[in-house]
Amino acid sequence: MSPQHPRCRAVEPDLLSVAAGEAGAAAAGRVDAHLATCRLCREELAHYRALEGMMDSVRHAPLRDDDATLARAQLASRIADLRSRLVGFGIFPSPLGRILIGRSEQGVALVQYLPAGGSLPAHVRRLLGEDAVEDRTATEALRAELVEYLEGRRARLDWPLDLRRMRSDFQRRVLEATSALPYGAVTSYAGIAARIGAPSAVRPVAQALRWNPLPIVIPCHRVIGGSGALTGYAGRRVELKQRLLAVEGVKTVAARNDFKVDREAMYTMVTGDTEYCVPTCGSLLSRSMVTLTLFSTREGAEAAGFAPCTSCRPDLHPLPA
Amino acid sequence: MGRVMAEDAFEAVVGAHHAEIRRYLLRITARGSDADDLSQETFLRAFRAYRALPPGANVRAWLFAIATNLGRNHFRAQGRRRRAYAAAAMEMRPDAPDRADGGVLADEARERLERAISGLPGKQRLAFIMRKMHELEYAEIAASLSCSEESARAHVFQALRKVRRSLDGHLPVEMESRS
Repeated sequence: MSPQHPRCRAVEPDLLSVAAGEAGAAAAGRVDAHLATCRLCREELAHYRALEGMMDSVRHAPLRDDDATLARAQLASRIADLRSRLVGFGIFPSPLGRILIGRSEQGVALVQYLPAGGSLPAHVRRLLGEDAVEDRTATEALRAELVEYLEGRRARLDWPLDLRRMRSDFQRRVLEATSALPYGAVTSYAGIAARIGAPSAVRPVAQALRWNPLPIVIPCHRVIGGSGALTGYAGRRVELKQRLLAVEGVKTVAARNDFKVDREAMYTMVTGDTEYCVPTCGSLLSRSMVTLTLFSTREGAEAAGFAPCTSCRPDLHPLPA
Repeated sequence: MGRVMAEDAFEAVVGAHHAEIRRYLLRITARGSDADDLSQETFLRAFRAYRALPPGANVRAWLFAIATNLGRNHFRAQGRRRRAYAAAAMEMRPDAPDRADGGVLADEARERLERAISGLPGKQRLAFIMRKMHELEYAEIAASLSCSEESARAHVFQALRKVRRSLDGHLPVEMESRS
């Protein structure tokens, strides 16, 4: 028989298995039976066995360029870099709807309001980056604290923050000034612009706050329009801003698709002063919000380091609760 | 804390498998710099996906699958340059001289063997190297090449036949005396 013979071709796969030492008993039996009658296939088997032997020696022979040291070192530093950027995120229900919290090795990197259902909006996916992974355990403690905050049972979120998603140094300065606003206090966009030494940059301040990657944590809801109107929040969801302020005791009144802070119910301070007043002190009520900071409670104003005014004496004549 | 543990576990994965995955990529690309790049990329992808890997998964086979995909993309991108690399692969004999009893003859045969392997068509070559150089199971090779286990076996056998044919007359075989 020749290797082209149908019987030889039929047994060939088994022959290769036998040569490689991976044949089962049935295949080995078929090969034995065939080899007893076919000298050419016996030679074939010898060839394949020799080939297996050569491959065995090649397998164990050293390879040129088989030095992984450099690749290993580069890999270690790339993994370290990836690890520090990698965001683990959780999505959960809250009193303000579905919320996403993302954290990296450095700290909390992202808080985002999500629509009621469906997949993540494009801008959220962009902020998360391609390496983000859902990791509820990494965000569970944050979730619990945030819910406490939204229910008014906690006044601070002392989270380490990862601020690498800031769009510019300007935005970073705006958000730092915003972070300094105490719980229960509100000021205006112009007030923030003045605080960062850029008094004419009112619109850029509003833009920077609009792209706040960490709403609630960086309390952009405490920044309102010069008229006292809440002005805008999370796209067109100004009602969320009103609810966050309500949690902090800031009273508002509804006003044409918006809300207005009820200035008569707020302790008032002129920016740069060291004393806070009742709103009826002097001509405060007629002043623009631009130079004012308002506090929902005396305790809040005093915790921020301000003293009661010595003429209107808010400590003796507090606003009705 | 689960996170920290997962990361330590990944260090162990790198420690256990990086050298072999790089060697596999070196065999299929025949270039140290490509093996460096592709092995790093393999492990970066693995790092991103590691947390989603079910417990008890075959990590080694999974890494081979990632490396194989990257290798194939690499060849696609390189197009014709692969042939030039394959030719270069012939020079990739070990620096150490062969001390086996075959001597010069074995060296020449091994050179032929390496040339035959580098001349195999894509999937056959990958399947052959995974099976014969890294001793992966056919099911693992099938997963790497996104084919059935039967096809994986067929790729290896077809490769074996071609390699054996191109080594005709160069295999150390004692012929039966023909009476």
